[in-house]
Amino acid sequence: MPAAGLKTIIALSFVLAVGFLLVILSCALWHAYYPLLVVGTYVLAPVPNWICSHCANPDDFVESSGAAVLDLGRFCTGFLVVMGVALPVLLAHSGLISIPAMAMSVVGGLLIYGTIISFAMFFQEEQEF
Amino acid sequence: MSEDRLWKFNKPAWLNSVWARNAGVYAAGGLFSLAFYTLLDSAVWSKSARNASSLHVTFLDWLPFVFSSLGMLIINSVEKQRLAADSFSYSGSGVAWKARVVLFLGFAALAGGMAGGVTVFVLRFVVPGVAWPAMGMGVENVVANALVGLSSVVLWVSQNMEDEYSYNLAL
Repeated sequence: MPAAGLKTIIALSFVLAVGFLLVILSCALWHAYYPLLVVGTYVLAPVPNWICSHCANPDDFVESSGAAVLDLGRFCTGFLVVMGVALPVLLAHSGLISIPAMAMSVVGGLLIYGTIISFAMFFQEEQEF
Repeated sequence: MSEDRLWKFNKPAWLNSVWARNAGVYAAGGLFSLAFYTLLDSAVWSKSARNASSLHVTFLDWLPFVFSSLGMLIINSVEKQRLAADSFSYSGSGVAWKARVVLFLGFAALAGGMAGGVTVFVLRFVVPGVAWPAMGMGVENVVANALVGLSSVVLWVSQNMEDEYSYNLAL
């Protein structure tokens, strides 16, 4: 795990700001505010993993019920991540938002989710012993 | 461990890692999401201004997806280790038999959902000879049900990987 310094925080917050800028521009330029749903999706995406990891003991290999709860969390996270891409494509296909707005909201959403994931990777507490 | 192996070829070692198993579960969630949003896309498109035809998505089009998802839920809720009847510890009170009945119901619901998707596609779109932009709604129905089946296959395989993994850990 590389040492996470001040530069990492600055870079991550910059990327997060660019992501939000893209999503909000994709809404405001065409006066159709559906792509804001993407932000909510990607903010919610790590939540099932987080909840289920608190519900289960991953070291418990004898009873596989703990692993099942973890799998449920991963399944929901995968669902939400793909939803963040599929939702703008759906809206663009039905003509509710335009194609450039779709591209901007997809890229912005991926930037936001990438920021959340890399923040969790860089700044998680060292659990190895 | 190598005496009771059935197949000639080994599984590659990376298939048994936790990483591959977790990636499989994430991929199953993603595939299910893709299936749901494919079907939702057909419903939204049928209500939007681009749908010039008089054909609209109703609850009938959603029914095969409901059955596929129900089958997927049933299949992946069954504890796989209870299926092995030759392990005497679990087959005592007929748990393996019950697991087989429930799994049969699950697979029947999954296959019925896929067949229902094809039925809706043929009866509502192919036989009346719908033109192409509206035909997409029927194609998306078939694709969505196929994706649910693919998702449950991926989830099943990656959950079986977990058993191998814990077995390796126990040795």
